[in-house]
Amino acid sequence: MDTRGNGTMPLATVRGDGDFIALLSQSGMWPTATQTGAVNAANPHTPEIVATTVLSFHYKDGVLIAGDRRATAGHTVVYDRADKVIDIDPYTIMAIAGTPATAFEMARVLQHSFQYYRRSQLQPLSLEAKVRALGKLLKDNLGMTLQGIGVVVPILAAMSPNSDPHLYFYDAMGAQFLAADFAVSGSGSPAVRSVLQYLNRWSGKPTTQRDERESIELALQLLDVAAESDTATGGIDRRSQIFPQVKLLTRDGMRTIDQETLVKILG
Amino acid sequence: MISEEPYRWLEAIRNRREYIEDQMQGGLPVVAINGEPGILYLTTRATTPKIFEIYDHLALGCLGHPADLEKVRQAAIDAAHLEGFTRSQHDVTARRLVNYNLGPALKNAFEQIFAAPLMFRGILCELADQPANDAAWVIDYDGTYQSPRPEEFHRGLIVAGRKRSQQNWEQLKDKKGELLHDWPAMALSALRIAAWIRLLEKSEQHAEWNDTPEMLPDLLKIFPEGLEFSVLDRKLVATSQAYRTPASAELGLGG
Repeated sequence: MDTRGNGTMPLATVRGDGDFIALLSQSGMWPTATQTGAVNAANPHTPEIVATTVLSFHYKDGVLIAGDRRATAGHTVVYDRADKVIDIDPYTIMAIAGTPATAFEMARVLQHSFQYYRRSQLQPLSLEAKVRALGKLLKDNLGMTLQGIGVVVPILAAMSPNSDPHLYFYDAMGAQFLAADFAVSGSGSPAVRSVLQYLNRWSGKPTTQRDERESIELALQLLDVAAESDTATGGIDRRSQIFPQVKLLTRDGMRTIDQETLVKILG
Repeated sequence: MISEEPYRWLEAIRNRREYIEDQMQGGLPVVAINGEPGILYLTTRATTPKIFEIYDHLALGCLGHPADLEKVRQAAIDAAHLEGFTRSQHDVTARRLVNYNLGPALKNAFEQIFAAPLMFRGILCELADQPANDAAWVIDYDGTYQSPRPEEFHRGLIVAGRKRSQQNWEQLKDKKGELLHDWPAMALSALRIAAWIRLLEKSEQHAEWNDTPEMLPDLLKIFPEGLEFSVLDRKLVATSQAYRTPASAELGLGG
């Protein structure tokens, strides 16, 4: 989460050839790091990655979604208690990585529009429509994304009542993808992705076989790993009592894991 | 003649009022009562619903023409959500909704004598953190509205198809207002009020309060068509959805 609003994701560099962003980049129309003002100190030609770590994965009872609490502006930590995992409605959770002003506004629009639809139409919005609604907001934000002043790359955990929850991830242009096992976003996410890939393929105990306690413990460990390699990820700060946000979505509904439980699980 | 115009207008308004009152005669009453656990709406089951969620802590119970109820309900939802989105949910209040949106809109519709009137009568309730701070607004088709005192809300508020029934209820001395402490007691009280109104309307406005059955089985027999009910739950006042429809067993109305 970069509060300067210029946390441009290096989509052109991480995505394969042939997509729209790559085309913009090849045509010289994708804003460069210098244009956006976001410069990676290690490589001045690479735009800065969205600064945060949010992660989600399927576990035995449903899905877990978690995020660190740090908000940065370049190399400065501006806030260490940011809530990046946001309840949209009792069946939907959004985790945000990107420019907070845009991301929080998107969450607010979704919260209000889902409630408004349910109340005015006397029926809840379908899961497909909810997933698409976020994609549409991202697509509408393309101008800000291209200018490098409002990129948002979220994760959505959502379900229909009395059914199994699903995980979706998006690109900055609004394309949505169903995540079969896990979805991550933000600057610390490469480390988390690697660990989750390893666990699911080689550990003998993929996340889907882990119970609630094991999953929460894993989420905390993953955020700690991300914080080790990424300065823009807050991790766990016991001294200041700052802990990541962890939420669960199961057939029984949504649950936020309180700080006391997190402390207990951390040991 | 120009000098006759005001009289024609008055006559048109009078005719309009008579027409609306006549059309709404058959409207089934809606009861709203507040107590410690929250606010309860109760009415008899009809073909179309009459109790609606408006916002996080607001609900509307109403009667009239279904299409007109929809118009008013939609207007209330639109205004509440617009306010809640542009400012905050704490800025959405029943008072502002009634005073600055629904009241003027209904009055305007009523006085447009060349357009069809809105057949609507309703109670808009706002749930607060404690019963004394709950608010209710009784609104009529001509845009008039009133906010009863807390003890009147504890006693139970009604809107009925016949204005006379509403007035008789307001003047009835036998039913005192006291704060009830659980849903079953509130549901029983609301059901007894609905039963009294039904007996009143069957007997040309002559039913005695003390003649109304007190026991649940006797009361339920009066409503073979079933009941519609919803609550604004005080336990959920801090959430974005205090409105819910409980199971009848939770209200002590049987399985």
